[in-house]
Amino acid sequence: MKSIIQTSVAILVVCALLFYGVSALEKSSATSGGGSITIYNWGEYIDPELITQFEEETNINVVYETFDSNEAMMTKIEQGGTSYDVAMPSEYAIEKMKENDLLIPIDQEKIPNLKNIDPYFLDLPFDPGNEYSIPYFWGTVGIAFNPTLLEGQTFESWDDLWDPSLEQEVIIVDGAREVIGMGLNSLGYSLNSRDASELREATDKLKTLGPNIKAVIGDEIVEMMRREEAAVALTWSGQAADMMFVNENIDFSVPEEGSNLWFDNMVIPKTSSNVDGAHAFINFMLDAEAAAQNTEYVGYSTPNQAAVALMDPEVTGDERFYPPEELRERLEVYENLGLEMLGIYNELFLEFKMDMEN
Amino acid sequence: MGKLSKLGKVYLAAVFFILYAPIFYLIFYSFNSGGTMSSFDGFTLEHYAAVFNDTRLIIILMNTVIVALLSSLIATAIGVLGAIGIVFLRNRKMRNAMLSLNNILIVSPDVIIGASFLILFTMIGVKLGFASVLISHIAFSIPIVVIMVLPKLQEMSSNLIDAAADLGASKRDILTRVIIPYIKPGIFAGFFLALTYSLDDFAVTFFVTGNGFSTLSVEIYSMARAGITLTINALSALIFVVTLGLVVGYYFFNQRARTVGTGGQ
Repeated sequence: MKSIIQTSVAILVVCALLFYGVSALEKSSATSGGGSITIYNWGEYIDPELITQFEEETNINVVYETFDSNEAMMTKIEQGGTSYDVAMPSEYAIEKMKENDLLIPIDQEKIPNLKNIDPYFLDLPFDPGNEYSIPYFWGTVGIAFNPTLLEGQTFESWDDLWDPSLEQEVIIVDGAREVIGMGLNSLGYSLNSRDASELREATDKLKTLGPNIKAVIGDEIVEMMRREEAAVALTWSGQAADMMFVNENIDFSVPEEGSNLWFDNMVIPKTSSNVDGAHAFINFMLDAEAAAQNTEYVGYSTPNQAAVALMDPEVTGDERFYPPEELRERLEVYENLGLEMLGIYNELFLEFKMDMEN
Repeated sequence: MGKLSKLGKVYLAAVFFILYAPIFYLIFYSFNSGGTMSSFDGFTLEHYAAVFNDTRLIIILMNTVIVALLSSLIATAIGVLGAIGIVFLRNRKMRNAMLSLNNILIVSPDVIIGASFLILFTMIGVKLGFASVLISHIAFSIPIVVIMVLPKLQEMSSNLIDAAADLGASKRDILTRVIIPYIKPGIFAGFFLALTYSLDDFAVTFFVTGNGFSTLSVEIYSMARAGITLTINALSALIFVVTLGLVVGYYFFNQRARTVGTGGQ
């Protein structure tokens, strides 16, 4: 009995010490006055120095939290019990959050730095007039490939993936919209197609890709490409940038038939308890210098043209990540197809995956 | 214990190698100056420096430890009393029902437990944060403690209690001087198991964290999209060394206690 009591007391003392440590650390990093805001972002998706800088400039204390998927983030916001002031969902999540009434409209007068954003990235179908969201980073879907493992193949067209020499070499991302969209694009159709015969044709074409496919996976793509376990991958430009950061052999290409244009955006969730602070933060992140610094840290493409002007032209001139005008015109944002249509996409994607196993 | 055959030794070595290789692989790359886990470029301690410079990470680590220690302590107290209660239930049906209810909690998926806690907390208006994480950790640890303590209680002869009562021990004496010392190994086992469950739980914790309060598993998991940095390797290496130190310390503490005599009541 004595040893149990001793152990319990020891544990409580350790807890008390740790508690003291935490509160001391929090006090040292907190700034007084100006209130506080909570940022809810993807992991490793902001330069932490910018948070410190924002705290120093505005005296607003920043609480920073991270999530790993749009769905998880929406669940947390929908349930309440938290007070997130700024979140960074992808564009399809914004449509859902709008439908579910989870967002507070953004007062554009409080965001003068909005002028820094390239108009090409504003007023898009998922949020007309940018009533609820401001673009944070953007990218495309394309083909990452490793020329050292290939025999000189290039990927200017989606059809290059069907090259018989690529048997068991291609990995594709496990997403119905991405894969079916690729099939549609390769046939010259819109990746938002609702036409049953077009979708049928795309799926049948995808099935003939079967022999070339090595795997259908998620985030592991990055690690597999880095380790040169596969030569070609259908993936997002952001993931391609992550691969290239480590393995310089890897190259990325957006096929000329067109592709998807995706966004991560800053929004103010309904749960916000400091709406002014949230606006101040969004405005701060749109500042040319802050955005340039953040883009250099994260490595994705920024929609901020003032920041682009400040950055290394070698980075911003890279047509793989900042595609030229004529390709941009062929990029499409995913439209919200509605639950029923999305079900059809998922079904066709499943059919494609089942076919591959035979 | 009989001597191991040569084949047995080789097998044992292989099993331990497979179990520990990933951990050592991870620790090895925490010293990599290259910045990734794919090629080793050179030796550096910068990732360790980064751990100590990252106040947020340190706070999260400390919170994780506080939650783990407190929740397993409280869960152990409740679980031990619960196990004693279950064992001494007269009604057999009732006892089996209690045990089944306990086991259902162990086998039900973490995601369901987490989601139902989230719904409960938001419904009754508890702010997500330290309290919500602590309460849910206590809740999922209790059944584990019960399961660890029960076998010890069941193997205890009821004669012991009868004898104690015959010799004039009060109910309180029976509990603190007979039952608890007897089941002590079970209590410690339950505590340590609850501790490890709490330390590495992701699914339940994810749902109930909020307002800036987070634990290490949630934090690491959310790094998956942009890639996990070697800072996490360095942190894991530190945790591994501390754990190793605790295990070795516990061993020597036990050795000493055993040589001194009864093992200290």
